[in-house]
Amino acid sequence: MFPAISATFLASIVEVVEAFTIVLAVGTTRGWKPAIVGTAAALGVLALVVLILGPTLQFIPIHYLQLFVGVLLLIFGMGWLRKAVLRSAGVLPMHDETAAFAKETAGLQSQSGAPKTLQWIAGIAAFKAVLLEGLEVVFIVIAIGAGKGLLWEASLGALAACILVLGVGAFIHKPLARVPENTLKFGVGVMLSAFGVFWAGEGLGVEWPGADLMLIVLTAIFLVAGMLLVRIAGNNFRKVAA
Amino acid sequence: MNIFGDVLKELGKMFVADLRLTLATLLSVLLVALLMHQGWVDAAIAGLLLTLLCIAVLAEAVLREVKQRKHR
Repeated sequence: MFPAISATFLASIVEVVEAFTIVLAVGTTRGWKPAIVGTAAALGVLALVVLILGPTLQFIPIHYLQLFVGVLLLIFGMGWLRKAVLRSAGVLPMHDETAAFAKETAGLQSQSGAPKTLQWIAGIAAFKAVLLEGLEVVFIVIAIGAGKGLLWEASLGALAACILVLGVGAFIHKPLARVPENTLKFGVGVMLSAFGVFWAGEGLGVEWPGADLMLIVLTAIFLVAGMLLVRIAGNNFRKVAA
Repeated sequence: MNIFGDVLKELGKMFVADLRLTLATLLSVLLVALLMHQGWVDAAIAGLLLTLLCIAVLAEAVLREVKQRKHR
Protein backbone atom coordinates (compact mmCIF):
# COMPACT_ATOMS: atom_id res chain seq x y z
CA MET A 1 0.00 0.00 0.00
CA PHE A 2 2.83 2.44 0.88
CA PRO A 3 4.45 2.40 -2.60
CA ALA A 4 1.05 3.04 -4.24
CA ILE A 5 0.29 6.02 -2.02
CA SER A 6 3.78 7.49 -2.27
CA ALA A 7 3.84 7.13 -6.07
CA THR A 8 0.55 8.99 -6.49
CA PHE A 9 1.53 11.56 -3.84
CA LEU A 10 4.87 12.40 -5.47
CA ALA A 11 3.49 12.36 -9.04
CA SER A 12 0.66 14.65 -7.95
CA ILE A 13 3.07 17.15 -6.41
CA VAL A 14 4.84 17.50 -9.78
CA GLU A 15 1.61 18.07 -11.68
CA VAL A 16 -0.16 20.22 -9.08
CA VAL A 17 2.86 22.55 -8.85
CA GLU A 18 2.64 23.12 -12.64
CA ALA A 19 -1.13 23.67 -12.53
CA PHE A 20 -0.80 25.98 -9.51
CA THR A 21 1.55 28.28 -11.45
CA ILE A 22 -1.14 28.92 -14.06
CA VAL A 23 -3.93 29.24 -11.50
CA LEU A 24 -1.78 31.76 -9.60
CA ALA A 25 -1.21 33.74 -12.82
CA VAL A 26 -4.98 33.77 -13.42
CA GLY A 27 -5.70 34.79 -9.83
CA THR A 28 -3.20 37.62 -9.67
CA THR A 29 -4.07 38.95 -13.14
CA ARG A 30 -7.86 38.60 -13.33
CA GLY A 31 -8.95 38.02 -9.72
CA TRP A 32 -9.47 34.91 -7.62
CA LYS A 33 -13.08 34.19 -8.61
CA PRO A 34 -12.32 32.81 -12.13
CA ALA A 35 -9.21 31.04 -10.77
CA ILE A 36 -11.15 29.25 -8.04
CA VAL A 37 -14.21 28.46 -10.18
CA GLY A 38 -12.05 27.11 -13.05
CA THR A 39 -9.95 25.01 -10.66
CA ALA A 40 -12.97 23.60 -8.82
CA ALA A 41 -14.73 22.71 -12.08
CA ALA A 42 -11.65 20.87 -13.40
CA LEU A 43 -11.14 19.00 -10.10
CA GLY A 44 -14.80 17.98 -10.29
CA VAL A 45 -14.35 16.58 -13.82
CA LEU A 46 -11.18 14.72 -12.78
CA ALA A 47 -12.86 13.24 -9.70
CA LEU A 48 -15.77 12.11 -11.87
CA VAL A 49 -13.37 10.34 -14.26
CA VAL A 50 -11.75 8.47 -11.33
CA LEU A 51 -15.14 7.56 -9.85
CA ILE A 52 -16.45 6.20 -13.17
CA LEU A 53 -13.33 4.57 -14.64
CA GLY A 54 -11.81 3.19 -11.43
CA PRO A 55 -14.59 0.80 -10.37
CA THR A 56 -15.36 -0.11 -14.02
CA LEU A 57 -11.84 -1.52 -14.49
CA GLN A 58 -12.42 -3.94 -11.63
CA PHE A 59 -14.77 -5.96 -13.85
CA ILE A 60 -11.85 -6.89 -16.14
CA PRO A 61 -10.17 -10.22 -15.22
CA ILE A 62 -7.13 -9.47 -13.03
CA HIS A 63 -4.47 -10.96 -15.38
CA TYR A 64 -5.68 -8.94 -18.39
CA LEU A 65 -6.03 -5.84 -16.24
CA GLN A 66 -2.51 -6.22 -14.81
CA LEU A 67 -1.06 -6.72 -18.27
CA PHE A 68 -2.93 -3.72 -19.72
CA VAL A 69 -2.22 -1.42 -16.78
CA GLY A 70 1.36 -2.71 -16.47
CA VAL A 71 2.19 -1.94 -20.10
CA LEU A 72 0.64 1.54 -19.87
CA LEU A 73 2.49 2.27 -16.61
CA LEU A 74 5.70 1.02 -18.16
CA ILE A 75 5.39 3.28 -21.20
CA PHE A 76 4.33 6.26 -19.08
CA GLY A 77 6.91 5.67 -16.33
CA MET A 78 9.81 5.17 -18.73
CA GLY A 79 8.72 8.36 -20.53
CA TRP A 80 9.00 10.32 -17.27
CA LEU A 81 12.28 8.63 -16.38
CA ARG A 82 13.75 9.37 -19.82
CA LYS A 83 12.86 13.06 -19.51
CA ALA A 84 14.14 13.30 -15.92
CA VAL A 85 17.43 11.60 -16.88
CA LEU A 86 17.92 13.97 -19.83
CA ARG A 87 17.21 17.00 -17.62
CA SER A 88 19.52 15.80 -14.84
CA ALA A 89 22.27 15.20 -17.40
CA GLY A 90 21.87 18.76 -18.72
CA VAL A 91 20.71 17.60 -22.16
CA LEU A 92 17.23 19.13 -21.73
CA PRO A 93 16.56 22.37 -19.83
CA MET A 94 14.86 22.15 -16.42
CA HIS A 95 11.23 23.17 -16.13
CA ASP A 96 11.14 26.76 -14.83
CA GLU A 97 8.01 27.67 -12.85
CA THR A 98 8.95 31.36 -12.61
CA ALA A 99 9.28 31.59 -16.40
CA ALA A 100 5.99 29.67 -16.87
CA PHE A 101 4.27 32.12 -14.48
CA ALA A 102 5.67 35.15 -16.34
CA LYS A 103 4.61 33.71 -19.71
CA GLU A 104 1.06 32.93 -18.53
CA THR A 105 0.70 36.34 -16.87
CA ALA A 106 1.91 38.13 -20.02
CA GLY A 107 -0.53 36.08 -22.13
CA LEU A 108 -3.45 37.01 -19.89
CA GLN A 109 -2.47 40.69 -19.75
CA SER A 110 -2.20 40.93 -23.54
CA GLN A 111 -5.88 40.02 -23.98
CA SER A 112 -8.45 42.76 -24.43
CA GLY A 113 -12.23 42.88 -24.15
CA ALA A 114 -15.03 43.45 -21.67
CA PRO A 115 -14.16 42.63 -18.04
CA LYS A 116 -16.69 39.80 -17.97
CA THR A 117 -15.20 38.23 -21.13
CA LEU A 118 -11.68 38.51 -19.71
CA GLN A 119 -12.78 36.81 -16.49
CA TRP A 120 -14.45 34.05 -18.51
CA ILE A 121 -11.27 33.48 -20.56
CA ALA A 122 -9.18 33.45 -17.36
CA GLY A 123 -11.54 30.92 -15.77
CA ILE A 124 -11.20 28.66 -18.80
CA ALA A 125 -7.40 29.00 -18.66
CA ALA A 126 -7.43 27.82 -15.02
CA PHE A 127 -9.87 25.02 -15.88
CA LYS A 128 -7.73 23.83 -18.79
CA ALA A 129 -4.48 23.94 -16.82
CA VAL A 130 -5.86 21.91 -13.92
CA LEU A 131 -7.63 19.48 -16.26
CA LEU A 132 -4.58 18.82 -18.46
CA GLU A 133 -2.08 18.54 -15.60
CA GLY A 134 -4.59 16.45 -13.67
CA LEU A 135 -4.99 13.91 -16.48
CA GLU A 136 -1.62 12.37 -15.69
CA VAL A 137 -2.49 12.20 -11.99
CA VAL A 138 -5.83 10.56 -12.82
CA PHE A 139 -4.08 7.99 -15.01
CA ILE A 140 -1.58 7.14 -12.26
CA VAL A 141 -4.30 6.93 -9.60
CA ILE A 142 -6.49 4.67 -11.74
CA ALA A 143 -3.62 2.50 -12.99
CA ILE A 144 -2.03 1.96 -9.58
CA GLY A 145 -5.40 1.73 -7.86
CA ALA A 146 -6.84 -0.78 -10.32
CA GLY A 147 -3.72 -2.97 -10.45
CA LYS A 148 -3.91 -3.83 -6.75
CA GLY A 149 -7.42 -2.71 -5.77
CA LEU A 150 -6.04 0.38 -4.02
CA LEU A 151 -8.12 3.06 -5.73
CA TRP A 152 -9.10 4.93 -2.55
CA GLU A 153 -5.58 4.77 -1.12
CA ALA A 154 -4.07 6.01 -4.40
CA SER A 155 -6.68 8.82 -4.57
CA LEU A 156 -5.81 9.77 -1.01
CA GLY A 157 -2.15 10.18 -2.00
CA ALA A 158 -3.15 12.53 -4.85
CA LEU A 159 -5.55 14.48 -2.65
CA ALA A 160 -2.91 14.93 0.05
CA ALA A 161 -0.51 16.35 -2.57
CA CYS A 162 -3.22 18.76 -3.81
CA ILE A 163 -3.89 20.03 -0.30
CA LEU A 164 -0.18 20.38 0.49
CA VAL A 165 0.73 22.25 -2.71
CA LEU A 166 -2.35 24.51 -2.68
CA GLY A 167 -1.86 25.23 1.03
CA VAL A 168 1.82 26.14 0.63
CA GLY A 169 1.04 28.06 -2.58
CA ALA A 170 -1.75 30.06 -0.96
CA PHE A 171 0.57 30.90 1.92
CA ILE A 172 3.61 32.06 -0.05
CA HIS A 173 1.61 33.48 -3.00
CA LYS A 174 4.40 32.83 -5.51
CA PRO A 175 5.14 30.09 -8.09
CA LEU A 176 6.61 27.09 -6.27
CA ALA A 177 9.91 27.32 -8.11
CA ARG A 178 11.94 25.68 -5.33
CA VAL A 179 10.13 22.36 -5.46
CA PRO A 180 12.69 19.85 -6.81
CA GLU A 181 10.38 18.90 -9.69
CA ASN A 182 12.93 16.94 -11.68
CA THR A 183 14.06 14.88 -8.69
CA LEU A 184 10.42 14.04 -7.98
CA LYS A 185 9.85 13.20 -11.64
CA PHE A 186 12.90 10.94 -11.58
CA GLY A 187 11.65 9.16 -8.46
CA VAL A 188 8.14 8.72 -9.79
CA GLY A 189 9.49 7.54 -13.16
CA VAL A 190 11.53 4.89 -11.32
CA MET A 191 8.54 3.76 -9.24
CA LEU A 192 6.09 3.65 -12.15
CA SER A 193 8.56 1.75 -14.35
CA ALA A 194 9.03 -0.81 -11.54
CA PHE A 195 5.25 -1.14 -11.06
CA GLY A 196 4.86 -1.45 -14.83
CA VAL A 197 7.40 -4.26 -15.24
CA PHE A 198 6.00 -6.06 -12.20
CA TRP A 199 2.36 -5.97 -13.31
CA ALA A 200 3.05 -6.55 -16.99
CA GLY A 201 5.09 -9.58 -15.89
CA GLU A 202 2.33 -10.83 -13.60
CA GLY A 203 -0.16 -10.38 -16.44
CA LEU A 204 2.06 -12.52 -18.68
CA GLY A 205 2.36 -15.21 -15.99
CA VAL A 206 5.88 -14.40 -14.77
CA GLU A 207 6.70 -15.94 -11.40
CA TRP A 208 8.48 -13.17 -9.49
CA PRO A 209 10.77 -14.52 -6.77
CA GLY A 210 9.67 -13.07 -3.41
CA ALA A 211 6.29 -12.04 -4.92
CA ASP A 212 5.47 -8.38 -3.99
CA LEU A 213 8.92 -7.89 -2.40
CA MET A 214 10.32 -8.02 -5.93
CA LEU A 215 8.92 -4.50 -6.40
CA ILE A 216 11.70 -3.21 -4.14
CA VAL A 217 14.35 -4.97 -6.22
CA LEU A 218 12.84 -3.66 -9.48
CA THR A 219 12.73 -0.13 -8.05
CA ALA A 220 16.42 -0.42 -7.09
CA ILE A 221 17.31 -1.71 -10.58
CA PHE A 222 15.54 1.21 -12.33
CA LEU A 223 17.04 3.70 -9.84
CA VAL A 224 20.61 2.49 -10.47
CA ALA A 225 20.01 2.32 -14.24
CA GLY A 226 18.59 5.86 -14.22
CA MET A 227 21.53 7.23 -12.23
CA LEU A 228 24.04 5.50 -14.48
CA LEU A 229 22.28 6.89 -17.54
CA VAL A 230 22.47 10.42 -16.11
CA ARG A 231 26.27 10.05 -15.88
CA ILE A 232 26.67 8.46 -19.30
CA ALA A 233 24.35 10.92 -21.03
CA GLY A 234 25.95 13.91 -19.28
CA ASN A 235 29.50 12.83 -20.17
CA ASN A 236 28.49 12.06 -23.73
CA PHE A 237 26.71 15.39 -24.18
CA ARG A 238 29.49 17.50 -22.68
CA LYS A 239 32.19 15.72 -24.68
CA VAL A 240 30.90 17.13 -27.94
CA ALA A 241 29.60 20.40 -26.52
CA ALA A 242 33.13 21.21 -25.20
CA MET B 1 -9.94 27.16 -27.11
CA ASN B 2 -10.58 23.58 -28.09
CA ILE B 3 -10.43 21.88 -24.71
CA PHE B 4 -11.43 18.45 -25.99
CA GLY B 5 -8.70 18.56 -28.65
CA ASP B 6 -6.16 19.62 -26.04
CA VAL B 7 -7.21 16.75 -23.78
CA LEU B 8 -6.71 14.27 -26.63
CA LYS B 9 -3.33 15.82 -27.45
CA GLU B 10 -2.27 15.55 -23.79
CA LEU B 11 -3.36 11.91 -23.65
CA GLY B 12 -1.35 11.20 -26.80
CA LYS B 13 1.69 12.97 -25.33
CA MET B 14 1.42 10.85 -22.18
CA PHE B 15 1.99 7.60 -24.03
CA VAL B 16 3.72 8.51 -27.29
CA ALA B 17 5.98 11.41 -26.39
CA ASP B 18 8.73 9.22 -27.86
CA LEU B 19 7.18 6.90 -30.44
CA ARG B 20 10.22 4.61 -30.63
CA LEU B 21 10.28 4.15 -26.87
CA THR B 22 6.58 3.26 -26.89
CA LEU B 23 6.92 0.80 -29.77
CA ALA B 24 10.08 -0.77 -28.35
CA THR B 25 8.39 -1.25 -24.96
CA LEU B 26 5.39 -2.91 -26.59
CA LEU B 27 7.68 -5.12 -28.66
CA SER B 28 9.63 -6.14 -25.55
CA VAL B 29 6.44 -7.24 -23.78
CA LEU B 30 5.29 -9.07 -26.93
CA LEU B 31 8.65 -10.81 -27.29
CA VAL B 32 8.62 -12.04 -23.68
CA ALA B 33 5.00 -13.18 -24.08
CA LEU B 34 5.94 -15.10 -27.25
CA LEU B 35 9.01 -16.72 -25.67
CA MET B 36 6.94 -17.79 -22.66
CA HIS B 37 4.10 -19.06 -24.82
CA GLN B 38 6.49 -21.17 -26.89
CA GLY B 39 8.06 -22.53 -23.72
CA TRP B 40 11.52 -21.23 -24.69
CA VAL B 41 11.82 -19.17 -21.54
CA ASP B 42 11.04 -20.24 -18.00
CA ALA B 43 8.39 -18.16 -16.12
CA ALA B 44 11.02 -17.08 -13.55
CA ILE B 45 13.61 -16.05 -16.18
CA ALA B 46 10.98 -14.16 -18.19
CA GLY B 47 10.75 -11.47 -15.50
CA LEU B 48 14.50 -10.87 -15.61
CA LEU B 49 14.42 -10.76 -19.41
CA LEU B 50 11.54 -8.23 -19.41
CA THR B 51 13.40 -6.03 -16.91
CA LEU B 52 16.63 -6.10 -18.95
CA LEU B 53 14.79 -5.36 -22.18
CA CYS B 54 13.08 -2.36 -20.58
CA ILE B 55 16.39 -0.99 -19.28
CA ALA B 56 17.87 -1.42 -22.77
CA VAL B 57 14.89 0.42 -24.31
CA LEU B 58 15.31 3.27 -21.80
CA ALA B 59 19.06 3.51 -22.44
CA GLU B 60 18.52 3.58 -26.21
CA ALA B 61 15.90 6.35 -25.88
CA VAL B 62 18.18 8.49 -23.67
CA LEU B 63 21.31 8.04 -25.80
CA ARG B 64 19.40 8.64 -29.04
CA GLU B 65 18.14 11.98 -27.66
CA VAL B 66 21.69 12.91 -26.60
CA LYS B 67 22.94 12.15 -30.09
CA GLN B 68 20.18 14.20 -31.72
CA ARG B 69 20.76 17.18 -29.40
CA LYS B 70 24.52 17.06 -30.04
CA HIS B 71 23.99 17.56 -33.75
CA ARG B 72 21.66 20.56 -33.35
